[in-house]
Amino acid sequence: MFDLFHEILQTLRHNKLRTALTGFAVAWGIFMLIVLLGMGNGVTNSFKEQVMTPGSQKINIWGGRTSKPYHGYREGRDIPLKATDITNIESEHDDFVAEANSSIYGTNPNITAGTHSITSSYVGVYPSEFISSGGNKKMVKGRFINDRDMSTQAKVVVLPERDEQRLFPGEDGLGKHVDISGLSFKVIGVYTAGWGRNVYIPFTTAKMLAGNNDRLGSVSVLLKNVSTEEDGNNAENELRKTLAAAHDFNPDDESAVWIWNQFSQGIKGLAAMNILNMSIWILGLLTLLSGIVGISNIMFVSVKERTHEIGIRRAIGAKPRSILTQVIAESIAITTLFGYIGIVLGTVVTQILDAVFGDTDFIKNPTVSLSIAAQVTVVLIVSGAFAGLFPALKAIKVKPVEALRDE
Amino acid sequence: MISLKDVNKTYPGAVPLHVLKGINLEIGKGELVSIMGASGSGKSTLLNILGILDNYDTGEYRLDGTLIKNLSENKAAEYRNRMIGFVFQSFNLINYKNAIENVALPLFYQGVGRKKRNLLAMEQLKKLGLADRAHHLPGELSGGQKQRVAIARALITNPSIILADEPTGALDSKTSQEVMELFKTLNRQDGITTIIVTHDPGVGNQTDRLIRISDGVIL
Repeated sequence: MFDLFHEILQTLRHNKLRTALTGFAVAWGIFMLIVLLGMGNGVTNSFKEQVMTPGSQKINIWGGRTSKPYHGYREGRDIPLKATDITNIESEHDDFVAEANSSIYGTNPNITAGTHSITSSYVGVYPSEFISSGGNKKMVKGRFINDRDMSTQAKVVVLPERDEQRLFPGEDGLGKHVDISGLSFKVIGVYTAGWGRNVYIPFTTAKMLAGNNDRLGSVSVLLKNVSTEEDGNNAENELRKTLAAAHDFNPDDESAVWIWNQFSQGIKGLAAMNILNMSIWILGLLTLLSGIVGISNIMFVSVKERTHEIGIRRAIGAKPRSILTQVIAESIAITTLFGYIGIVLGTVVTQILDAVFGDTDFIKNPTVSLSIAAQVTVVLIVSGAFAGLFPALKAIKVKPVEALRDE
Repeated sequence: MISLKDVNKTYPGAVPLHVLKGINLEIGKGELVSIMGASGSGKSTLLNILGILDNYDTGEYRLDGTLIKNLSENKAAEYRNRMIGFVFQSFNLINYKNAIENVALPLFYQGVGRKKRNLLAMEQLKKLGLADRAHHLPGELSGGQKQRVAIARALITNPSIILADEPTGALDSKTSQEVMELFKTLNRQDGITTIIVTHDPGVGNQTDRLIRISDGVIL
């Protein structure tokens, strides 16, 4: 084994430039594969975190306008969502609905604390909003809105950390008060988030501020016991039917209420991510293939150039098999050596990308795992052997009489 | 040592070429013989058959008592390795291996370990007065030195015969004489059976026996 290795090293050293040029193609192929896989992982990781969180099992509904006549009504009738829709959905579909809720957006974009102010309005939300809105939210201090705040229409507010610092520069805002729409709200919590930074107050409080208007802009339905895209689509249809009965519109009328099925879309997105990853593998392997063809080519040239040498070896007693082994081993050696150079460079680049983009919204942890490195190693050895096979078969056809032929 | 009985060889083709026409030849152990003939006489074909590099059609070739006929590639390689030491006109050393590695190469194909191989190769080089050149590449050696390295490689497996194909063809007259002296010394001192194929009468005349071949028959 050591002897074989020594032989390979000697022949490779003998043809340094040629070996390097050929190997570059393989290193490049593997490098591309690693970087592409890393980026693909980054996009997938980010997608999973943003869309496939518990909060993504959600269907959003907005009021719309009918497009079909129904029960004596003409088309073109506005369908506003109401607070009763929430209770209807929850009571009729407790098999797949975990919670139905809504939010109310404030209209006056001005929140002040003493002399400081921010140009931002509040959102009245249910307690579940903190998780279901996604964005990787984390409480820094205090707590989020709870059921008691809801039932008492408490004048409390939860701020994003950035807004806390604007309203209370250099101070701890927790427990202090801010003015919203002329009323004083107590700060009960501060949070950070990857995205979606809002000033939150209890839904019931916001409703009161809006004059206890029964109309809702939108309703969010958090699903449970769903796993497939079909489950999501069924849930969507059931919800439409319930609303159709309550608001007297044709259940087939898709414009009477607008439904955004985040759950089914997320599953579709995940399938797309798998296709993306698969394409990356195919792309990477095809890039590698051109490298492999290069190796195979150069091994042919090498065998051709060394016909006389192979003849000498055969004349002094080399069996066909040892010639075969040597050519294939040489091919594997070149492929793996440069493949690993590619892996190392690719890993370095993905680490740099991770350091630069690692925490942005679109790419999360764009690196490859050790198992992929292991898979790539297998790919390298197999492709190296494959690249060397045909040149090796040519090499064993060299007759020992070649040794007698003068160059 | 070598026994050929009615060996025939024809190269097939549009006009089949009958190159060896019933060769009968006996070479005893410890002989130093030369085979001479003009080009096209069948000299090279005879050499190829003696060296198990080529097959013959009919007849019988025994080397050291072993029948050499219709061997597989593997068997032929093994016999060449153990029974025949080749010396070529153009030395045929592997140019990226140094002298000691070249000499040790036949042992590599016998599966001898690296240490033992190099030890034996060094011994052989010492014997031929090349110890100080052991780690030089062929490109750094003179013609005479190269041929002596090649002879060391031929001797390393203790073969039954040394088969030299125009061993002095690429050397000047002085070096040629040195190489011939070496062959004679090896033959006299160690009793090594040596067959030299040549077209140079100066070389042929220095051997114990001269075999002339012409038009596929031995004269």
